Amino acid sequence: MNPILEIKNLKTRFFTTDGVVKAVNDVSYSMEDDEILGVVGESGCGKSVHALSIMQLVPDPPGKITNGEIFFEGRDLLKLSEKEMRTVRGRDIAMIFQDPMTSLNPVFTVGFQLVEALRLHNDITKGDARKRAGELLSLVGIPGAENRLNDYPHQFSGGMRQRAMIAMGLSCEPKLLIADEPTTALDVTIQAQIIDLVKRLQDELGMAIMWITHDLGVVAEMADHINVMYAGSIIETGKVRDIYKNTKHPYTMGLLGSLPRLNDPPGVELISIPGLPPDLIALPKACTFAARCSYRNEKCLAERPPLEKTEGSDHAVACWRWEEIAGTK
Amino acid sequence: MSRYIIRRIFSVIPTLIGVTFVIFMFQRLIPGDPAIAMLGEHATDESVERLREQFGLNRPLFLDRDALAEGDINGFFDSQYIRYMNRLFKLDMGESIHRRIPVTETLALRFPATIELSLLSMFIAIIIGIPVGIVSAAKRNTAIDGISMVGSLVGVSMPIFWLGLMEIMLFAVMLQWLPAGGRFSTGIEIKSFTNLYLVDSLLTGNLEGFKDAFQHIILPAIALATIPMGIIARMTRSSMLDVLQEDYVRTARAKGLGQSLVLFRHALKNAALPVVTIIGLQMGTLLAGAVLTETIFSWPGIGRWVYDAILGRDYPIVQGGTLVIALVFVGVNFLVDIAYALLDPRIRYD
Amino acid sequence: MAEIIPEEITITDFAVREHRSLWGDAWRRLISSNTARLGMFIVALFVLSATFAHYFWEYEPKKDLDYSLKLKPPTLVANEEVPSVHIFGTDKLGRDIFRRVVHGGWNSLRVGIVAVGISLFFGGLIGLFSGFYENINMTFMERLFLFGLTGLMMGVLAAWIAAQPFQTFLLAGLGVAAAYFDDFYKGKPLRMVIFAIAGAVIITIPALFVGSTVALICGGWGLITGALLSRPLEGRFFSNVMMRLMDIVLSFPGYLLAIAIVAFLGPGLEKGMIAIGIVGIPVYARLTRSAVLAVTQKEYILAAQSVGEAHGRIIFRHVTPNILSPVIVQTTMGLANAILSAAALGFLGLGAIPPEPEWGAMLGDSYRYLTSGAWWAVLFPGLAIMFSVLGFNLLGDGLRDALDPKLRT
Repeated sequence: MNPILEIKNLKTRFFTTDGVVKAVNDVSYSMEDDEILGVVGESGCGKSVHALSIMQLVPDPPGKITNGEIFFEGRDLLKLSEKEMRTVRGRDIAMIFQDPMTSLNPVFTVGFQLVEALRLHNDITKGDARKRAGELLSLVGIPGAENRLNDYPHQFSGGMRQRAMIAMGLSCEPKLLIADEPTTALDVTIQAQIIDLVKRLQDELGMAIMWITHDLGVVAEMADHINVMYAGSIIETGKVRDIYKNTKHPYTMGLLGSLPRLNDPPGVELISIPGLPPDLIALPKACTFAARCSYRNEKCLAERPPLEKTEGSDHAVACWRWEEIAGTK
Repeated sequence: MSRYIIRRIFSVIPTLIGVTFVIFMFQRLIPGDPAIAMLGEHATDESVERLREQFGLNRPLFLDRDALAEGDINGFFDSQYIRYMNRLFKLDMGESIHRRIPVTETLALRFPATIELSLLSMFIAIIIGIPVGIVSAAKRNTAIDGISMVGSLVGVSMPIFWLGLMEIMLFAVMLQWLPAGGRFSTGIEIKSFTNLYLVDSLLTGNLEGFKDAFQHIILPAIALATIPMGIIARMTRSSMLDVLQEDYVRTARAKGLGQSLVLFRHALKNAALPVVTIIGLQMGTLLAGAVLTETIFSWPGIGRWVYDAILGRDYPIVQGGTLVIALVFVGVNFLVDIAYALLDPRIRYD
Repeated sequence: MAEIIPEEITITDFAVREHRSLWGDAWRRLISSNTARLGMFIVALFVLSATFAHYFWEYEPKKDLDYSLKLKPPTLVANEEVPSVHIFGTDKLGRDIFRRVVHGGWNSLRVGIVAVGISLFFGGLIGLFSGFYENINMTFMERLFLFGLTGLMMGVLAAWIAAQPFQTFLLAGLGVAAAYFDDFYKGKPLRMVIFAIAGAVIITIPALFVGSTVALICGGWGLITGALLSRPLEGRFFSNVMMRLMDIVLSFPGYLLAIAIVAFLGPGLEKGMIAIGIVGIPVYARLTRSAVLAVTQKEYILAAQSVGEAHGRIIFRHVTPNILSPVIVQTTMGLANAILSAAALGFLGLGAIPPEPEWGAMLGDSYRYLTSGAWWAVLFPGLAIMFSVLGFNLLGDGLRDALDPKLRT
């Protein structure tokens, strides 16, 4: 299998009046062409910004990709011109966003917005595009799809809007779908429906999916691989099983510890991680998690650990003491 | 949509009544007797009394309770205000005290002059202001943005009567390119149906007349346009900036749309709402600014006419002119509300 | 392998920025903007020169006259023809334009402060209360007050028609009763019928002593009043009435209303200030109201209500500080507008009375000499107006960027 996406040393910075925000720091990983990759982390850890960097949609100013390579099917996206990049967006890589309430343009009908996407990348007539738009809406499970093409977004419910967004994302059958917290703004029941929908669509259409979330529960259900991000860097990556059963990084442990489980005996306290993530303007030289880590020692405070392979072939962790910590468990 | 329009019409009615009420009150609250003002200081008591009778000035302002006490219900409502409203419905605004010409007659001549000037100014303000605002927003924080925003702020801060004077000095006195005042030169004839000379001369194919009328209107129009231009440019910029950071603009970009489609299709239609509102409100600035520009450029519109009437205490003119300006303003803002509904489906389907 | 005991950690937070106050932050942003600094500089220059000139540079406009120096162009050094230096030239009465421009600043400053003060005070209060009660239910006492006052005002007409002053209190009483018996047939049509009839009866009976027609008209008015008072009038009613009034004032475009007011009050700088102030009231009322509406939907207002804080305290302790940013911006820009309007009035001869040095009036005095080439008499007062207005606008603009966290990048 070939990697569809390979990112090397990606750095994204925001140049603000308060200082340079180091939002993405040396992120490298690759993704297979049929896998579902979960990207997990707290808000502000750089997971969304790194996805926007792939699409080159980081708001500029103040944001800039300062370093790195993003290979998509062997081509470095960062070397493409804006015009070439436009043909990649929507056609090869599609992206759906967190808030379906604000992600659709309120002054155009849902049909118009779907047809626009279709006609942008395919040479088809308006009539065909409309027909296809109707089919797409039924595909994502909107009842009476044909009639709803003339509706405006405000006439849709939140769940339906997210379905319409997904339909728009899938309209040109992209090879990679980036879903940026697509269920965070929705009710729990709707969340489950959307997740099922995406899993079904992946089976049917066969594409790679990058699922960005702060909810470990969601990715455990659907992802093949997981990247855990903290303060702009990947601090642990591996197969879902490894991340959950063989957790190496104290931060991931903390994240999992703060997740309630049904089979916990009553009275078990959830573990919370003390403190706050570091200020991305003034990142310490130390391990970015050291300030909140109960395992830290002198070395942790002096030097930042690299992402290091563990015994498992693709399980890697960025911690100086992961072996010692594993020994104590 | 039609329900929305009907609701808007009903909400305009109390405002209109209030406007007529305020204007009525203005005339009655001024010190001095209008009848004496009309006849002069030396009029006899009888003739003053006769005139008061004739104009209904001997009636009470709003309601006649003495008539009611005598059992006369019709007399109770027969007041100056009711008569005034009655006449207004018949489009009768009285006649000028000094000239004895019906106010509506002069209005029909002078109102088009003001409207022509205001509309041309608004046109200039829009065709310059909106593109400048869009470019500034698209090139945010660049030199172009900085220059056009400080420039438009200078426009907003401009005393238009002073700008008009400077224009006259430069273009009429020093360079002698353009005339300093009036609507057309002597010797030029424009057949007029509507008193909008630019329109009429074009319709009759009178190019010479059009050129002359245009040369006369351009200086006052530019002077009048500066403030709305600055305000429209600034509003367009800030509204575009707001919209450009919306999620749906990011969605549009993620689809692969290019910058121009994102700007002009997805962003502009959303950003237009506050801009349309401000254009409606700026119509007021133009109509009020007409008092100043028309004075400087000897433009025979209602602004200067009302101003002369204020100085000459010719109240029917003040009343009529102010009422018409206020009515136009209310009307324009009513149209703005309708435009709002056309632009935004959330209002249309409400 | 060394044993690791998870230690109790103290949060070292070595990467957290120093704490800054909200206003300190805004100030820092303000002075980091070039345009805002320029605005501050112009405003400071304008305020200081006007104030110093007023207190330390004597000027008596009534005695300033020298026909030998009539309309002399600007000079930087004295010469034979013009023995004194006039860097801005002289006007038609031979007065030094520089001196009058500097002194004119004091008048503009006064107009700005007084006019904006009037607009801000009345407009702010109207906006504050109508915005607050638009969303927040009135307390029992407040409702008693609102209904009583409504009845009282309606009663004035009935009392005047029947020439029986006590009728005012009858309807006021009816209003208080309507508020007191709030639950009486609440939401049912019967409530309106009962109150309308009650209103008609209490007004008709005393009016019968005056005459039957009087009683008829008064009774009709009582009927209407009773029906109105039977409605659940809430803050929304008050807010609507206020905003309609503001709409009416706003229907007179720009300073046309100011011109009209001055035309009827008579010319004079003081009257101009009042007129400009009145015209500005609706602008501030609307702005304040919409800001208050946004604030009252915030959770902290709900929190304050839920711990039982009095409405007055919520309005002044919780709402007011949170609407200050837009009001400060509007006030700064309002100063610019007031100066511009005052100059327009002065130009039309409706503002300051000559020979008082006022920029607009100076322009109005001199523009007839423009054709004879005396450009300096028009240029400098105009520049003074433009720059002072521009200064306040630049400052206001900078303040908006500094105070509006939404635009932070």
